[in-house]
Amino acid sequence: MNKICKWTGVVLVSLIFGCNPQKAESPQDYSYQVPVDYYKLNNGLKVVFSQDKTAPTVVVAVYYNIGFRIEPQDRTGFAHLFEHMMFQGSENLGKMEFVKLVQQNGGVLNGSTRFDFTNYFEILPAHKLQTALWAEADRMSGLAITDDNLINQQGVVKNEVKVNVLNQPYGGFPWLDMPQYANENWYNAHNFYGDLEDLDAATLEDVKSFFDTFYAPNNAVLVVVGDFEKDETRQWIQEYFGDLPSAELPPVADISEPKQTAEKVFTKPDKLATRPALAFAYHMPERNTPEYYAMGLIDQLLLQGDDALLNQRFVKEKGYTGSVDGGINLLGNMFNYNGPMLWMGSLIHDAEVPSDSITAVLNQAIDEFTSKEVTQADLDRALIKMRSDLYSNLGGFFGFGRADLLASFALFDDDPGRINLLEGEFRKITPDLLKRTAEEYLVPENRTILILEPTTEEN
Amino acid sequence: MKRITLYLFNIVICLAVFAQKQTPPAGGTPKDFTLPEKTTFKLDNGLTVVMVPYGNLPKVTVSAVVKTGNIHEGEGQIWLADITADLMQEGTTTRTAQEVSLAAANMGGQINIGVGPNQTTASGEVLSEFGADLVGLIADVLQQPAFPGGELSRLINDRKRDLSVQMSRPQPQATEKFNKIIYGNHPYGDIYPTEEILDSYTIDDVRKFYSDNFGAQRTVVYVAGVFNEAEMKEAITKAFSQWVTGPAVSFDVPEAVAKPGVEILDRADAPQSTIIMGLPVVDPSHPDFIPLSVTNYLLGGSFASRITSNIREDKGYTYSPRSTVDTRYGAATWYEMADVTTDVTGPSLKEISYEINKLRSEVPGVEELDGIKNYRAGIFVLQNSSPGGIIGQLSFLDLYGLDDSYLTEYVKNVYAVTPEQVTEMTRKYLDYEKMTIVVVGDKKVIEKQIEDYQNALDNF
Repeated sequence: MNKICKWTGVVLVSLIFGCNPQKAESPQDYSYQVPVDYYKLNNGLKVVFSQDKTAPTVVVAVYYNIGFRIEPQDRTGFAHLFEHMMFQGSENLGKMEFVKLVQQNGGVLNGSTRFDFTNYFEILPAHKLQTALWAEADRMSGLAITDDNLINQQGVVKNEVKVNVLNQPYGGFPWLDMPQYANENWYNAHNFYGDLEDLDAATLEDVKSFFDTFYAPNNAVLVVVGDFEKDETRQWIQEYFGDLPSAELPPVADISEPKQTAEKVFTKPDKLATRPALAFAYHMPERNTPEYYAMGLIDQLLLQGDDALLNQRFVKEKGYTGSVDGGINLLGNMFNYNGPMLWMGSLIHDAEVPSDSITAVLNQAIDEFTSKEVTQADLDRALIKMRSDLYSNLGGFFGFGRADLLASFALFDDDPGRINLLEGEFRKITPDLLKRTAEEYLVPENRTILILEPTTEEN
Repeated sequence: MKRITLYLFNIVICLAVFAQKQTPPAGGTPKDFTLPEKTTFKLDNGLTVVMVPYGNLPKVTVSAVVKTGNIHEGEGQIWLADITADLMQEGTTTRTAQEVSLAAANMGGQINIGVGPNQTTASGEVLSEFGADLVGLIADVLQQPAFPGGELSRLINDRKRDLSVQMSRPQPQATEKFNKIIYGNHPYGDIYPTEEILDSYTIDDVRKFYSDNFGAQRTVVYVAGVFNEAEMKEAITKAFSQWVTGPAVSFDVPEAVAKPGVEILDRADAPQSTIIMGLPVVDPSHPDFIPLSVTNYLLGGSFASRITSNIREDKGYTYSPRSTVDTRYGAATWYEMADVTTDVTGPSLKEISYEINKLRSEVPGVEELDGIKNYRAGIFVLQNSSPGGIIGQLSFLDLYGLDDSYLTEYVKNVYAVTPEQVTEMTRKYLDYEKMTIVVVGDKKVIEKQIEDYQNALDNF
C-alpha cells in the first residue's frame, strides 16, 4: 500500500520518459499519442482522421452541431425524433436499406442525440469504409421519407420513452429530470425526450425544415478512425461529400444559464418506485477553463470509484446506499458537450433514512474536502484515475470513444488535436486551485437537490 | 494461430425498382483477420493462466475467472454467491477495504467481483505500468478475504434494497418468472431471493460457500492489453502459486423441458407490456449451436432481423425488441423479449409467432442469409478486437469445454450454414406452440388480447 502511494508522484513524471520506476533498468514506453489529421472541405465539412491498424475495422462517425438543447420550443423531443428519421430513407436508400447495408456488410451502427450534437456512426470491416462514406454522404444530401415512416417512428420513440421513463421506477431520474429543475434557461431546462403530445404533433414539414436548417456539411464533422489509407479516403470523401451545398446557419442561440444564487430543493413523486432516492447537482465551471479541469479531478476524488469520498461516506461508513452514481454530463462525459453543465450525483436509500440525513452527510463530506489541504497523494491519484479513464475512452467501443472525442473537439473547438493536450491540462491543476474550485462551486447556493418520493401503495 | 479470411459476400441491395437511384460502392478486398496470439501456462496447484498481448493503448485488463457462481447455491441460498463476492470486497487479511480501494485507484482502476450462474470474476483494468501490481492485489482479494462479520448486515441491507428496486421493474419480474418456469427448482430457476432468505445469511454461510467453491483448480487468470509478458508471468506465478488447489470443477446441470403456456403478471395501468417468449434450446457444446445462433440473428437477434423489422420498423409497437440464445453451462434458452404498447400486446405476440412460423415453413433467401452471415462474421471480428472482448471469448470457450478450433473455425462454420439448415433449426428448436410466454402488464386490458392471440394460433 505505502509502496504504491510513494510511487504515484514518480510515475506521473516518468510518463514523459515512459519508464516504470520499479524497473528502471528495463524502461518501457507506456505513453500514448492519438494520431490526428484534420482538414476541411470547401463546403465547410470538417474531416478528422485517426489511423490505428490494431484491428481490420474502421469507425465512421458523422456529428451534426445540433443537440436537443436548441430544438424548436413547441416541439420538445424533436431533435431525437429527427435522429430516428435519418434511418428512414434518403436519396438512394429506402427505409431499412441503410440499416441492412451496414449490417449485411458485417457492421454495427447507431445514432444518438445529446445536449449539443446528434451523431450517427458505423463500425465496419475495414474494406467497407468506402461503402459507409457513400451512405453517410447520401443521407447528408437529403431525406426521402413518407408520412408512414414518420408515424411509425413516432410510435417507436413513444415506446422508447415508455420503456425508459414511464414504465420504469426511477425513470429519467436524475439524468432527464435534474436539468429541468436545476436550469432556468428553456434551452437547458426542457424535457429533452419530449412530451408525448409534442412528439405526436410533429409533421413532415417540421422534419424537412429541421433538416434544411441544421443538416448541412458546414454544420458537421466526419471522423474516420481505424485501419484505412489516408489518400484514397480523402478522395472518396471529396467525391461523395465535396459537392454537397453548404447552408446558411441560423444565429447561435443564447444557451447561457443565469448564475444561481440560492439553493433549490424539489420533490418528485414516483408511483413505481419502492425506495426513496436523492440527487444533487452543482453547476459546472465554464468548459475548458482551469476550474473546469479542476472539477474533473474533484469528480474523481469525490464520486468516481469505490475509493471516492462520497462512496466511502455513504456506502461504507453510513450504509445508506449500495453506491453513489454520477459525474459530469450523465449523457456522455466531461468532454463531449458545449454549454452549461451539471456535476451530479444520486443514490437510492431506505425510507428509514430521511433526506435531511443524506444532505447532512453530503454537506459534511464536502466541508471536509474543502476545509483541509488537498494532498499531493490525492491529486496524483485523481490524475492517474483520469488518465486511465481517458485511455479506456480512447479504446472504448472499438474506437468509437476516440471518434467521439475527436468529433466533439472539432465541432466545438475547431481543434481535434486537443485530444492530446488533455493530460497536460489536468496536470497543470495545483492542490490550491482544486481547493479554491471546490470552495467556489460546491456550495449550497450553486446546488439543486431533487428528492424522489415513492408513492406506491406499500409505502 | 491460424489466419482467418473473412469471405464477406458483397451484397447488392435491391434498388432495381428505382432505376435512377445509385447503388452503394461495394468496397475493397477483405483484409486478413488474425486472432490475437495467446500464451497459456499452468501452475502446479492447477491454476491456468492465459496472456494475450493486444493493442497499443497503455492499459491492461486482468480477470481471474473462478468456475463457481449461483449454480453452487444450495436450497434457500439464493444470492449467497453474490453476498460472498460482496464480502470479499471488504478487505483481506493484510489490507482493509479502503486500502484495497486506494491501492487499485492508485493504479487507475478498481477491483470488481461479478457473479454469474457459472462464473465469478474478480477483475481490474489499470494503466499498463501497474499490471503486475494489479495481479498481486487481485490474488490477495481472491485468496485471503478477511470476511469481516461486522460488515455483513450492511451488505445484506444493500442487497435487500437492490432486490426491492429490481422487483419494481417489469423486465426482472418477467425474467424471474420465465426462468422459474423453465428451470424449476434448479439454481438456474431461482434468480431472485426474498428478503427473509437474505436476512438468514451468517458469516459462517459465507465462509463455507467460499471454502467449498474457491480454489486454484477452478480458476483461470486472463491478462489482455499492453504489458510486459515476462514480468507478468513472474507476478502471476508468485501471487497465485501458494493458493490451495481447492475443489474440482463441478456443475450439476438441469433437465430443462419446454413448458408451453401463458403467465400474466399484473402491473396495473402499465403503459407497456413486457413480453418474454421462449423455450430451452441446445447449449454451445452442441453441434447445432452455431446454425441455431445464425438462425437467431436472422429471426430476431439483429436490427434488420425479421421480428424487429416487423414489430418495430413496420408496426411501431416497440422500441427495443430482441431475441437471444441465453446460455449457461449445460443449458440454454432462446427467447424474444420486447416491451410493447399495452393495446398491441396480443398483436405483438401474433406477429412474433407469425415470423417464427414463417421461418419454419419457408426457406429464407440466399441473399438474406448471406447478409446475416456477414453480420455475424463482422461481430466476431469485433468480439476479438478489444481486451475485454478477447477475455470474454476465451472464458466462454473454457466454460463450455470448447477448444481453440471453435474460434479458428468459427467464421468458416458460420458461412457453411445453408438456408435449408436455418429452416431446419427453426423447426427443430423454435416451436412457438411449445413456448413459455410471460407477460408483465395491465391484466385487465391485456387478458382478452392474449386470449384472442391463443385462439388465432390455429389459423397460422
